[in-house]
Amino acid sequence: MRHTESELRKLLTEHGGERAHHGPSVHLDAIVKRGRRTRRIRRAVTGGTAAAFAVAAVGLVNGLLTGPSGMAETMVAQRSADSAQVDPGPKLPEKFPVVLGANKFDLPLIHSQRFKTEGVTRTVTFTPSSFFTGYKVVCDDPRAWVVTSHQLKSGEGGGTAGRCREGVGGHHDRLSAPSDWLKRPQSMQVWVFPADAPVKEVAKAVTGCRPIWKSKGCDETAQSRELMHPEVRERLLAEIGEQPGGWAVGIYDRSATAEPAPNGEPPANIEPPTEGTSTPAGR
Amino acid sequence: MDDGFAEYVAHRRLRLCRMAYLLTQDWGTAEDLVQTALSKAWLAWRRVEGNPDPYVYRIIVNTHASWWRRRWRGEVPAATVPETADPRDTSAEVDDQAVLWSAIGTLSPRQRAVIVLHYFEGRTLTQVADIVGCSPGAVKRQLSRALTRLRVDPDMQTMKLERV
Repeated sequence: MRHTESELRKLLTEHGGERAHHGPSVHLDAIVKRGRRTRRIRRAVTGGTAAAFAVAAVGLVNGLLTGPSGMAETMVAQRSADSAQVDPGPKLPEKFPVVLGANKFDLPLIHSQRFKTEGVTRTVTFTPSSFFTGYKVVCDDPRAWVVTSHQLKSGEGGGTAGRCREGVGGHHDRLSAPSDWLKRPQSMQVWVFPADAPVKEVAKAVTGCRPIWKSKGCDETAQSRELMHPEVRERLLAEIGEQPGGWAVGIYDRSATAEPAPNGEPPANIEPPTEGTSTPAGR
Repeated sequence: MDDGFAEYVAHRRLRLCRMAYLLTQDWGTAEDLVQTALSKAWLAWRRVEGNPDPYVYRIIVNTHASWWRRRWRGEVPAATVPETADPRDTSAEVDDQAVLWSAIGTLSPRQRAVIVLHYFEGRTLTQVADIVGCSPGAVKRQLSRALTRLRVDPDMQTMKLERV
C-alpha cells in the first residue's frame, strides 16, 4: 500500500489536532522557574570551572610545561591570574609551526571560532593571505571525533578525520592550495562528534567499514577513513543531533597587518620555530 | 525578564505542543519537550531577533533528538510495512492511517522533524534546513529517504476508488 503526500498531510493534521480541546499543560510560570533553575546551575558550574582553572594555572606557571607540545597549556599559564572573565573551552595555540623540508616557520592565528555544540555541520570562512594557510581544531573532550573537509587544487576534496586528542589540523602549500586561494574568501567544513558517537555502527551499516592494510576489522583507523564519506557523516548527524560539547577552530596564516604577498609566500621576517615540532600534516 | 516571552508562550504553546506530539507520538512527552525547549529559549530570549519560531523549533528538534538518542529503543523497525486489506474496504483506510502513523514512529528524529516541519508546519525546505541546521540539499535527501520509508509517493495523486 502506497500513500500520497496529501494523505500524509491529512494524517499529521488529524493527529496533531487530537486532544487540542484539552489544551496543553505547559504553563509560563513552570517554564520560567525551570529556566531560572538552569541559569543558577550554569552559573554555579561556571564558578566551579573558574576555581579549577585558577588552580591549573598556578600549577602551570610553576614550570610544569615547556616546549611546543604543551603549547595550548602554555597559553593558559600566560594568562593573568586575575582575569575578570574566564573563557571556558579548549585553547587554540597562538602559532602554527610549519616545516617544509629545511624551511621552518610559524604562522600566527588570524581567525578563530568557538562552538558549544557538537553533531552539527559548521562552515568556517576566512580570507587567506598566503598559500600556507593552516588550521587546527581543538576540543574540550580529547576523545571527540573531528572531521574537516576543504577544497584542494583541481577541485578535489581533502581533509582529515580522527580523534581530537591534542588537536587536528593541517596546512596548505603551493602544491595543494586551489588556484583561486588568494583571490577570494575560502571556507572549510568541520564536524565534531561526541566521543561515544556510534561511528563504528554507522560506518559498518553505510560502507561496510573494510579494514585498512594490517588493521583488524573496523578499528579506529578504518572508522576515521569512513568518516570522510559524506553519507556516514550525514547518518551520524541524523542519529546524534546537536549536543553540548565545546570545541574551537583556528585559522593560521600571515598576519593581516603584514605586507601583501602577491606570490603567496610567507613573509621573510616570520620567526623560525624554537624547535621542529610539526610535520607538514600539522597534527 | 519578559520582552514578549509570555505573549509568545500564550500564543504559540498549543501549536508547539502539536508539533512536538508529532515528533514524540506521546502527549506527556510532547508537553515536557515543549516546556524544556521554552525554558531554554527563555534563557536566550533577549538575544533572539525577529521571529522566534525558527529558534524555538530548532531547540525542540534538537532536544527531541538528544532524548531519542538517550532512551532505550526496544522496537525493531521493519524493513517493509505490512500489507493491508483491500483498499476499497473502509476499515482498510483506518488501518492504512495506523500503519502510516506507526511508520512515522520508526523514522530517525531528523527525518521525523523534516516530515513534520514540511508537511504539518508547511515550512519550505530552505526554512526546514535553517531550523534543523543543515543544507537544503541534505534536507531534500532526508525527506526523500523518509518518504520512501513511509511509502509515500510524492508523484502520486490522491485517487478515490469507486465503491461497488
